Amino acid sequence: MLSLIGSFSAQAQQPNQPRKEPESIQSPTRLQTSELPAQATESAEAKKKPGAISSALNWWRTTELPGDLQIHGFASQAYILTSDNDVFGNSDDGGRFGLTEAGLNASVRPLPRLQLSAQVLSRRAGEGNTGTPRLDYGFLDYRLFSQEVNQFGIRVGRLKNPFGFYNDTRDVAFTRPGILLPQSIYFDRTRNLGLSSDSVQLYGDTTLFNLGTVSTQFGVTLPVVNDRDTESSLLAGVRVGQLNREVSYIGRAIFETNDKRLRLGVSGIWLNTSYDPSISHNDRLGPGALQFTPVIFSAQYNAERWTLTSEYAIRHFKYDNNFNLVLPNGYHLLDNQNFYGESYYFQGEYRFTPKWEAIVRYDALFTDRSDRNGSKFAHNVGGIAPAHSRFAKDIMVGLRWNVTPEFMLRAEYHHVNGTGWLSRLDNPASEGPLSQHWDLYAIQASFRF
Amino acid sequence: MNLLQFLIRIQFSRYCLPRVKAYFYYVLLICVLCVKTEVRADNDYAIVTYPGVGEKVLSVNSLRSIFSMHLKTWPDGTKIRVFVLPDDDQLHQSFSKEKLNVFPYQLRSMWDRLVFSGTGQAPIKVNSSEEMLAKVASTPGAIGYLWRANISENVNVLQIK
Repeated sequence: MLSLIGSFSAQAQQPNQPRKEPESIQSPTRLQTSELPAQATESAEAKKKPGAISSALNWWRTTELPGDLQIHGFASQAYILTSDNDVFGNSDDGGRFGLTEAGLNASVRPLPRLQLSAQVLSRRAGEGNTGTPRLDYGFLDYRLFSQEVNQFGIRVGRLKNPFGFYNDTRDVAFTRPGILLPQSIYFDRTRNLGLSSDSVQLYGDTTLFNLGTVSTQFGVTLPVVNDRDTESSLLAGVRVGQLNREVSYIGRAIFETNDKRLRLGVSGIWLNTSYDPSISHNDRLGPGALQFTPVIFSAQYNAERWTLTSEYAIRHFKYDNNFNLVLPNGYHLLDNQNFYGESYYFQGEYRFTPKWEAIVRYDALFTDRSDRNGSKFAHNVGGIAPAHSRFAKDIMVGLRWNVTPEFMLRAEYHHVNGTGWLSRLDNPASEGPLSQHWDLYAIQASFRF
Repeated sequence: MNLLQFLIRIQFSRYCLPRVKAYFYYVLLICVLCVKTEVRADNDYAIVTYPGVGEKVLSVNSLRSIFSMHLKTWPDGTKIRVFVLPDDDQLHQSFSKEKLNVFPYQLRSMWDRLVFSGTGQAPIKVNSSEEMLAKVASTPGAIGYLWRANISENVNVLQIK
């Protein structure tokens, strides 16, 4: 009652804003209508200067397209400078414009329950990604059951792997927190493996006691393993033979409260792959098989101005005993390896205005959680790889400026202890040893429509 | 309304504080007033649909599901087509915060996730209330929102329960 009276007198003192205050009185869970300061003025400004691009986009938006066709795209360019070690090109030598991402997608709804979508992606990022366009996803989505909040359907084709909060749209700068995603979970070097796969996926949304919704996806997939970066990460080097695609499974469930403030998720992948040695090239590696089964727990809290996010992953690697990769000191590098990696990050985002956002993050990776400082590993391999290649602790701060809804600029700084997630292709042994403590500065411009 | 509230406040300080019984009545009265004001604020705008859409009443859950682009068809099986104003538009902000109970930035990130993973489509953006009215009035299955002052007989007003 006291709070009612308090709000009431506050209201009476503001005779010019009769609409604003009572909202919070009648239903306390409701959001305040207070607007962030920069919004009103800047929108007016944006409307006054319709450039050639935005008027073209407007035409595009307002023109009726058959079958509800929608076309969207994005293009981003980053400049990355590192104190030591290379990230997406020779970044420790004056910096490089080594990360370019561009994508174009189309979706169409020929029937009310049927949607077809496809995206072509070009990514130029260091040695592992040359920028050759590839089919990122392409599938059909049929809604089998739909009733208010409860939906159930099936998707068939090449699909983005649903894991964690960010994997599905990891190449779209606008949708990810920072120029670099938390590398402990969203490895860029094995990205193709994790990114999309040819699969059949069932999905469903359902209400949970009127508290919120649970969205689940479950897929049977053939992973995309045929790239050099994945190979070098899983098999300790680029090999002459081939990784095979074997049936794998992926699943994710996300609970969101109705106001989307709290989001909780769990995702898992059961990835199987095996290695076919090349007979003609006198392969050092035998025909081994491996299982990779990461499980990720995700949590996020969204308020009007800030968002807190944390994800934790436990990653199980299991190699069989047929790889037969023996090091000079007699150690079997891959055979019978069975270990758990651990990763987590904490991240805070703050929106000063809708245009300006700041971010801070701490991200940690341990390749083998029973050997967190990598000393056991370094000892086993007889010094051919340093202990710091088995972990990475990355502290990051960044700033984002949403110049217009379509154009965004941002900058970030990382201080990293460890080299656990660096690409081996970008940092070959021939370039000398890696530095354990290093800094990374990056800026990025991104456009989307 | 404001003058009335002001008068009540004066009365409040003059008579009410020493009297416990009256205190309760006034609190009751205030509650009633607040509810009334609430209704009025909500009535400044409304959810509108294409006249051919059969639905006259919609649950909050369905409304949320439609604007988060998950519910894609009306109960009769026809396509739902969602129209929205720009993220920084005042009506869009009021609508998303008051009717959907989410912040505009959350809607944007939901839509982005759908569009760039291929699992859904974005709502269709219009730049003004006039355009919203024209589009909703002429697009089968359309749903949008309008200030009361801009609503014409060419669209249906939807009740949210």
